[in-house]
Amino acid sequence: MSFLRTLIPFDIIGGLTVTGRYFGKVFFSANRKKIRANLAHFTQEYPEVPVKLQPRFRGRLTLLKDEQGEIKCVCCLACEKICPTQVITIEKGKKEGRKMPFPVRYDFEMERCIFCEFCVESCGFDSIILNHQFELAGYNREDFSLGMDGLGHNMFEPSPVGRHSVAED
Amino acid sequence: MPTMTLTQTLVMGLLQCVAVLILIFVMVPLLTFAERKVIGYIQVRLGATRTAGGLVGITGALNRGMWAMGKLPVLSILRGLPVFIADILKLILKEDIIPAKAERSVFTLAPIISVMAAFGVFSAIAFFPGVLFTFPAKFPIVGGLPFMGFISDVNVGVLYILGLSSVGVYGIVLGAWASNSKYPLLGGLRSAAQIISYEVPLTLSLLTPVVLAGSLNFKDLSIRLSTGADMHWLGAIPLFVGFLVYTTCGFAETNRTPFDLPEAETELVAGFHTEYSGMKFGFFYLAEYTNMIVVSCFASAFFLGGYYLLPFGLQRLIPASVPFLGQPSILFFFLKVFAILFLFLWVRATLPRYRYDQLMDVGWKWLIPLTLVNLFVAGLIRYAF
Amino acid sequence: MFKNEEMEINLGPQHPSTHGVLRVKLRLDGETVTKCTPVIGYLHRGVEKICENKTFFQGQVWTDRMDYVASISNNLGWAEGVEKLFGIETPRRARYIRTMLTEQNRLASHLLWLATHALDIGAMTVFLYAFREREYLLDLFEAFCGARLTTTAFRIGGLREDLPPGFIKNAQAFQDRFLACIDEYEELLTENRIWKKRTVGVAKLNAEDCIALGVTGPVLRAAGVPYDIRKAFPSAAYAEMDFEIPTRTEADTYARYLVRLAEMRQSHRIIQQCIDGLPEGPVMAKIPKILKSEVNEVYHPIEAPKGELGYYFVAEKGGTMPYRMHVRAPSFVNLQALPKMTEGRLLADVIAAIGTLDVVLGEIDR
Repeated sequence: MSFLRTLIPFDIIGGLTVTGRYFGKVFFSANRKKIRANLAHFTQEYPEVPVKLQPRFRGRLTLLKDEQGEIKCVCCLACEKICPTQVITIEKGKKEGRKMPFPVRYDFEMERCIFCEFCVESCGFDSIILNHQFELAGYNREDFSLGMDGLGHNMFEPSPVGRHSVAED
Repeated sequence: MPTMTLTQTLVMGLLQCVAVLILIFVMVPLLTFAERKVIGYIQVRLGATRTAGGLVGITGALNRGMWAMGKLPVLSILRGLPVFIADILKLILKEDIIPAKAERSVFTLAPIISVMAAFGVFSAIAFFPGVLFTFPAKFPIVGGLPFMGFISDVNVGVLYILGLSSVGVYGIVLGAWASNSKYPLLGGLRSAAQIISYEVPLTLSLLTPVVLAGSLNFKDLSIRLSTGADMHWLGAIPLFVGFLVYTTCGFAETNRTPFDLPEAETELVAGFHTEYSGMKFGFFYLAEYTNMIVVSCFASAFFLGGYYLLPFGLQRLIPASVPFLGQPSILFFFLKVFAILFLFLWVRATLPRYRYDQLMDVGWKWLIPLTLVNLFVAGLIRYAF
Repeated sequence: MFKNEEMEINLGPQHPSTHGVLRVKLRLDGETVTKCTPVIGYLHRGVEKICENKTFFQGQVWTDRMDYVASISNNLGWAEGVEKLFGIETPRRARYIRTMLTEQNRLASHLLWLATHALDIGAMTVFLYAFREREYLLDLFEAFCGARLTTTAFRIGGLREDLPPGFIKNAQAFQDRFLACIDEYEELLTENRIWKKRTVGVAKLNAEDCIALGVTGPVLRAAGVPYDIRKAFPSAAYAEMDFEIPTRTEADTYARYLVRLAEMRQSHRIIQQCIDGLPEGPVMAKIPKILKSEVNEVYHPIEAPKGELGYYFVAEKGGTMPYRMHVRAPSFVNLQALPKMTEGRLLADVIAAIGTLDVVLGEIDR
């Protein structure tokens, strides 16, 4: 009996059936129109099709402004203290017509940031968030030193890199 | 057939060689493309859909075109086709590194041996037993001459092919030794042992059709087997067993999964071609895929009915008077070749890899006794009927 | 003219089959391994020392980066260890959610093990099938805590936030299709003759050796010892869960494969119980903004996918950071068994043995 089982490879045929079934499924639904209806393959065509991110995704640190365009940060330094990698440096200052302290400098060194969101959690004034940006690659180190000013490298605007899409639809 | 002058013979021979070379150089890259796609589909992904490169220039245009192709039902399967051109370009343009401690002459010679052995086999393979087309009379030298479906009609073609295809292992062993590195050496030793062991059942399983049909000529053998001329219908049984054994040995001979020990990437990095790069590696690559095509051609011709529709000598069920299905055709031949090539890819995606000693076990303890019994049965059928 | 010579080769640190930067020095006699020496330390970052200079809240982010394929298990060990140190009681709902996520992480880790182990042995399709399911789980983690690998999922005293809307629905959808997926892997591997030849009787390690070397986890259970921290010292909500400890007695690679598959089915069962019996209530206990410790020491073990993961804290008076922190990493201890498993066997068995131990180098080197 075991001799016959060795001679006739049922186990291998079983394996080939599984893979063959998937081949058929994907082969007959490989064009893009059908894919949306029934997910036969799991390829995400990333630069053409934008990635779906979850609402809680932890991306790059961003400073927020309120309705008047005022920076919400009041320099309580909670984020600077909680940060496990010390990537945030804040310099306290004064601004005319504003009772709360105003951050003169808010430096964020992204190369060391580990995106743990402890800073956002510690912030009592909801003045920072981690946005949904994940295309954070850069061409030189300066791209990763973010602050309140600078061309494209400040913390209010999207990152300068990360436009790879060739899709028009 | 008109008698040919020496010039005409030479020119015709050259033309046919070039035609076969073009066939190989078209089929091998297409095969690598098919491999990406088939294995991709089996693994519920899409395989190659774009070429590397930026958003501008040729690659950008290609990528945009392929993205657009994806919307059309049939063309979406062909997305990523330019990748095979990129593959060839990469192999040719890449820096050719020879390790400092390598044996330079042998290192260079090894891929050439492999590729010559793989290509030389085609001189005895008949893709079609007769005339494919005749050149019109207005052509200067070859006018009025027939273009045959084979390069040469060797009397002992099967022997020639078996002899030449076992030369390929020298390329692997020499290349592995000349690299002067440890992983290639292990891969080369494995490869030598493996190919020598599997040469035996491979040849024995090919003897089954030879015994049944009584010929060593490639196209005679194929025609006799498929039409069942002076072969009893019981001959289909040893032919079927022979087909299974032959395919298994063919996987081993071409170093494909589940017998890809010489280049087992998880154990030996890349096996015998670890130190090779550029077009030298490309030659090994070319030889492996050409060997796959050779094995498929053999299985197609000797076991699956060759130029006729039905395999294992069952073609007698369709009388020769039936217009298309009863006639030999090059389409049937290539259909079967592609089916076996697909099997190669399918098995690669499914099965794990044997261990070195287990591979020897399978070869010596199972395949050789099985082929001997099979050969004996074939001989009985030949003798009794 | 001819002489016998043993060949020494390096498997790694850059080699397609060693997981991460493991380097194994092998002495080969032909294809037979006569000596096997794992060399570690290529990924050393000094996590234990760093954690001694971080507050109890901050240290958790480093645990993510130890066993990066099972970071939620590491988070659980850290969070519960610190809670034990300070005597903090977490709410019941938080413990249930922690249990569910840890089990999902166990599934993700086992799927990654199955994928790479099968790929090492040559079955390349199982790799992609297992990653397909793992991807779904990572999406669930992203929905819960915003990251896929380096999760930092828990907080001292509970959770940062409750489950996001739709989480339970997605988790249930995964539950519904996962068992069929395991059957698919089994169809491809369990009965396959080549898979059996490569794994049955390979890299044996019997129960005595396991205990002597301190090996834990599926490797120990495949040797017939039903030791599982989830049953022995239950934490989180494991005491309220109904599940079994799968064991085998063959103690070889195939047995470990079967044990891990059975564990995946048990994890599936635990997740289902968590989903069905998820209690209402708060997810965060009342804890002070700054934790100041008394003189104390605590060892807290949990069952990570690889085995016993223990966190050892020594605290000084009035400290906001651990005075000394040590991690008993399962991969580190299990790797000791590699020479015992492989010496005298073939080169290909070393690959199977590394795969079956399921080591993660981030955890070994720390």
